[in-house]
Amino acid sequence: MISKRFLLKRLLLLVPVLFGVATFVFAILHLSPGDPARVIAGQRASEEFVQQIRTELGLNDPIWVQYGRFLVEAVQLDFGQSYQIQQGQPVTEVLRFKLPVTLEMAIYGQFFGILLGIPAGLLGAIKQDALSDHLTRIGALTGISVPIYWSGPLVILLFAQVLGWFPASGRIGSEFSIQPITGVITFDTLIQGNFAAFQSAAMHLLLPSLVIGIYSMALISRMMRSSMLEVIRQDYMRTARAKGQGSKITVLKHGFRNALIPVITVIGIQFGTLLGGAVLTETVFGIPGIGSMLVDAIQVGDYPIVQGTVLTFAFLFTLVNLVVDVTYSYLDPRIEQ
Amino acid sequence: MSTQTETEDVGNRSALERLRASPFLSELLSNRLAVAGLAMIFGVLLVGLYARLFIDLQSVTTSQIGTNPNVAPPSWLGQKETQVVTDYGTWAYPFGTDIQSRDIFERVLYGAWIALKYGTITVGASTVLGVGLGIMAAYYGDITDNVIMRTMDVLLSFPSLLLALALVAIFGTGLWKVVIALTLVYTPRFARVVRGAALKVLEDEYIEATEALGAKDPRILVRHILPNCLAPITVQSTLNFGLAIIDIAALSFLGFGSEAGTPEWGLMLANGVEQGLLTGDWWWSFFPGLFLAITVLGFNLLGDGMRDALDPRMRETVD
Repeated sequence: MISKRFLLKRLLLLVPVLFGVATFVFAILHLSPGDPARVIAGQRASEEFVQQIRTELGLNDPIWVQYGRFLVEAVQLDFGQSYQIQQGQPVTEVLRFKLPVTLEMAIYGQFFGILLGIPAGLLGAIKQDALSDHLTRIGALTGISVPIYWSGPLVILLFAQVLGWFPASGRIGSEFSIQPITGVITFDTLIQGNFAAFQSAAMHLLLPSLVIGIYSMALISRMMRSSMLEVIRQDYMRTARAKGQGSKITVLKHGFRNALIPVITVIGIQFGTLLGGAVLTETVFGIPGIGSMLVDAIQVGDYPIVQGTVLTFAFLFTLVNLVVDVTYSYLDPRIEQ
Repeated sequence: MSTQTETEDVGNRSALERLRASPFLSELLSNRLAVAGLAMIFGVLLVGLYARLFIDLQSVTTSQIGTNPNVAPPSWLGQKETQVVTDYGTWAYPFGTDIQSRDIFERVLYGAWIALKYGTITVGASTVLGVGLGIMAAYYGDITDNVIMRTMDVLLSFPSLLLALALVAIFGTGLWKVVIALTLVYTPRFARVVRGAALKVLEDEYIEATEALGAKDPRILVRHILPNCLAPITVQSTLNFGLAIIDIAALSFLGFGSEAGTPEWGLMLANGVEQGLLTGDWWWSFFPGLFLAITVLGFNLLGDGMRDALDPRMRETVD
């Protein structure tokens, strides 16, 4: 069981971190070289007009007033309005439609990562130092060494351009128009009963999720292998063997649950990394999530979008880490000390 | 005078002997994958040095239209019918040429120099910064520890590439700014590792003994804590080297790094994907990416081997 004290302590530790994160995000706008008012007004606008916008945005107020206002608004999930990307739209509104796109892809990617990574790691542990072990190890290290912005385009070239098995980019075929309900397209198409659209969406998702899944798989299989090897050496495993549970498979079954604990940590951490990697994956596969939006926003100087997106990423990342910590202490109560 | 040299001699010999007898090194060298990684790094280093010394940066940066064939596939692949060039079937352009008729082979070789140079600076700077902060946090404890480590926590609450992007939004674009951003991104990892290792060392009684003998702060830090943290620092640096090279190229790929024309792998990939891939001109992006992947794999193989060599639990096998 998780003690309330541990949970409370863990949550309290979050406060200064989130405060620091918010301060950093506030600083993005004020340390950046561009002038936000100029970005909104356009290059040819008169100085008076720029001044007027500056006053409207409160950019003429003392910095600590702006900082206080930012914190109060951030707590209320108000990041202002987009300057350029979706001009005039509240950032929160934009994020609400774009975030599910990113999460959907990351979840499918992680699904493939777990599906491939755990068996690969177990295989390596059962036959330590056998050929299969070395091969999975080389495979895993290659997996994390190949940049996604190289493997992605190559996969698109081969499977989309040359073989024509999959669509090259986007989320769904242009012939479908799907009303976003949740924003998770494979879910929206299903509840609207449009199976042709669902198939198209799934086909669009398969290549990017597989490419990021292979990256996840690499780390998951490495951790599964070393964790399993460690568990095999524990006393209780020796006892199990001594009591006659001879076959390796039985022994593995016995230790699997315990070996899984550090793997769960890696899966969590890896999910956070996947979110960060969305910046690249979405750019390569032309997926309109918050990752590709952030890249665009930085390029055009749309600071409210940059701030909102960075804060969202940091919040999700911190949340995932918290869940990992709590799960970990639930599975292994010794951690609390 | 002579006694001094003698003691120095003894010191040197024992250091060398210790190195030779170290289970870490022998373990590392018996790991074939780690040795392969080392060989790959060495190969890329040679390529980079060769490029730096013998390839004219000007000729791989500026347009070569009129001098070289335009958008030609690797010349050994045979005749391309639309091009009237005599070099086909030869090794004149082993990786082909791009839209500005530049020789991709030479550009890729030069990219090795750029990747290693900026990678080394990034990893070096974040190591120094992280080690300094980590040791300070561990040694002084209390408020110093709290201020340093909470700041590190804040930096660690962003996915790394994302933090780099946010910093680039502040600093502006360019390879050097990318290096600064990534240095800040990697520093907390070193600080954490070093702080942990240093705390362990500080617990040992011999530090107490040196303090009792009157050694002042800096001496304890440098002479006793640092050598004892060297192993985890080295592993972390090696693994971060691969990451730094991949992240520098990633930021260039997204358009925040190297200037147009620079023979840098990430930018070459971006150009190749943007302009070449849809028309099927795969060689623009294929070769820079291949070299990038090999380089990163080399560092990951070596770093992975180092980590195993440091972890005695991984040595014994179970039957």
